[in-house]
Amino acid sequence: MEEWSGTMTSGSRLLRYTILFVLMSAPAFVVAQDFSIGEKGAAAIGTKVMIATAHPLATEAGAEMFRRGGNAVDAAVAAAFAIGVVEPDGSGIGGGGGILIHLKNGKSVYINCYGQTSSRIMEIGFVYGKDNRTAKAILIPGAVAGLTAALKQYGSLPLGVVLQPAIRYAEKGFRIDETLSKIILDNTDLLQRHPVTASVYLRDGFPRTEGDTIVQPDLARTLKAIAQNGPSAFYTGPIAKEIVDEVVRYGGMMTLEDLASLQPIVSEPVEGTYRGLRVISAPPPHSGVTVIEALQILDNTSVSNLGYYANSAESFHLLAETLRRAYADRIVFLADPRFERVPVKGLLSQAFAQSRFQDISMTAVTPPEYRQTTVGTPLKFEPNTQTPALKDSSEKREPEHGSSLDPAGGHTTQISVMDREGNSVSLTQTLGTFFGSGVTASGVLLNNGMSNFASTAKVNTVNPNKQPRSSISPTILLKGERTIMVVGSPGAARIPATVVTLIVNAVDYGLDAEKTNSAPRFLCQRSEPYISMESRFSNEAQEGMKKKGHQLRLYGDFDLFFGGAQIILVDSTGTMYGSADPRRGGTAMGY
Amino acid sequence: MKRSAILILLACLMLVLFEGSLLGQEKAKFEQPVLITSAGQSADVTIAGMLFKKANVQTKALPLAKPADLDGIKTLVIVAGFSSKGLGAAGISREQELGRVQSMLQAAKEKKLKVMTLHIGGKARRGNQSDDFNKLAAEASSYLLVVKQGDEDQFFSKIASEKKITIDLVDKIADAVQPVAKAFGK
Repeated sequence: MEEWSGTMTSGSRLLRYTILFVLMSAPAFVVAQDFSIGEKGAAAIGTKVMIATAHPLATEAGAEMFRRGGNAVDAAVAAAFAIGVVEPDGSGIGGGGGILIHLKNGKSVYINCYGQTSSRIMEIGFVYGKDNRTAKAILIPGAVAGLTAALKQYGSLPLGVVLQPAIRYAEKGFRIDETLSKIILDNTDLLQRHPVTASVYLRDGFPRTEGDTIVQPDLARTLKAIAQNGPSAFYTGPIAKEIVDEVVRYGGMMTLEDLASLQPIVSEPVEGTYRGLRVISAPPPHSGVTVIEALQILDNTSVSNLGYYANSAESFHLLAETLRRAYADRIVFLADPRFERVPVKGLLSQAFAQSRFQDISMTAVTPPEYRQTTVGTPLKFEPNTQTPALKDSSEKREPEHGSSLDPAGGHTTQISVMDREGNSVSLTQTLGTFFGSGVTASGVLLNNGMSNFASTAKVNTVNPNKQPRSSISPTILLKGERTIMVVGSPGAARIPATVVTLIVNAVDYGLDAEKTNSAPRFLCQRSEPYISMESRFSNEAQEGMKKKGHQLRLYGDFDLFFGGAQIILVDSTGTMYGSADPRRGGTAMGY
Repeated sequence: MKRSAILILLACLMLVLFEGSLLGQEKAKFEQPVLITSAGQSADVTIAGMLFKKANVQTKALPLAKPADLDGIKTLVIVAGFSSKGLGAAGISREQELGRVQSMLQAAKEKKLKVMTLHIGGKARRGNQSDDFNKLAAEASSYLLVVKQGDEDQFFSKIASEKKITIDLVDKIADAVQPVAKAFGK
């Protein structure tokens, strides 16, 4: 693991620490701003900065960085560390994620810090399903590596400053809100398995509930060590040893070398177009390709002319059939590109999207059984390369079923940020499923990312040092070089569908940020025989869908099952509108 | 004379207290064996199992219990609260779950079993999705044990009042151990 301080001289280190001391101790340096705050989906409005997260304290952490003169990356990283403390079910430094950054100079970068398997993972025999919520499912956590790398490369504030809110929340505690209370209740069985974890979230063996305070002194100590010594404090030394010891003690696999050698994967984002806009998103093994594929299929026709999808079976059907195809391709083709050849160019080609569009019948579900959904042939649309030809899906790549994470829950979290310079960040981070493996070491709740591997699909099976496929899809829409939408969501398998639906609401139907985020959501995928949907679709739309051959499964009006999106929309004047998903207890702040 | 009056008063007081105690025991007339099931498939069934264990009451917990599971049972405990996660994991729809709970309550009525409803999930188990289950279970019960956060709008208190059902409200989940023990005369 690279040292945080890099090649700093003692003089520059002294200067850095002096700045750090001044920033941390002198509020006079902090710029006072009146922030517009949006709760429960309502839009916050700003012309200079905007941040939306799933927890008010995480949003405040980002706002604090803006007050200190920081940029969007500073705010995003501060919020990411903070939300791992105050929304500990969804993410944290024991997990990983993806950071999509679009810079004011037009450059875009994706930092993949999801985490990967141990070099010795094959020694423990991970069994998909049975081991999903155990120490065996723990990946080498990448969050600290990714967040510190983003800050070092693109941030402007010292790590010690950016970590202060997270340390404060861990040390002084925070109040459990309604969302977290519900998630603790739902996961009591996992939390009570491990005494250290139970001591944080349970009292007398029973779940802590709304209004109770959670204090995490061990996590505060770990965060302080990272603040003082950079990521090496996490990936080497006593913290690393305690993590390895606990993982192994509970039957998982991780070595000190695994931790010390972990690096984030930095690459260009994948890119496509939709209604004349540029769409940049997360490359494989993350699911930005699926978002873009679906949008490009839809780009072959007008969605809005068919009516609003929550009221019209015509547009609803088109969206559902589009997503079903994009999801089928996702399961068959997306995997860690370091291990598998992923036909990214084919999947992102307009011609491939057109072929998928032509496969859709507007009158009925085709084929009538979702599980029979035909997989596309993106390899035919790949430009000639020197890479040995890969046989197409129908021959070698068996689709798996049930590879998505557990059947419900909006686990994972999204942070969306923009600053006055035009930098924008879409960051999605996760522990896998709620509370990850349930194993805590050095105050750090460790992920269960292995559960994202598949039991049957050839391309997404377990291998040493491999990343599983993930649904996370942090996405940014650009008009030329200018950001006009920052979007992303948690929600396991629902993520790509939710991101596509959000974009369609904003771009095709022209809805504002609040309405876009509140709009009804659904999921249609090959591995389930029905459409999962919120119950706010009109009767006409529902009956129309049934007539076309769809089966519907209704959820709540605003159901956490469909994620917790954080979005920022920017109008032609540059005014930013941030919205935190009303399905989750977050806020947007801007000025 | 005065002395006699005082004695009579004391005797009356004793009677009232004794009667109160009897009434308290009346409320506590639940018998084992106990079957715990869910109304809404939330994970609260697991927590309810822990509560009963701490109260030293033996139970069988079947989140997806069917009427046939009531054979030999004397008390049916319904743990109310909806969870889309739970339903997803169980592979059933909300309507199927409502139907299952209705059939359980009907069978319990036919077998003249006592029914107790626990609502321990607070606000997390309220709202449109949960309240159909909450109402269904509560109205068919002879005793409601509710964590106060779930009754801030007096949803359960009103049902208890209208249907003349005994209700106990507790501050925290852990506080429910004592009333459970008392209900079973422990």
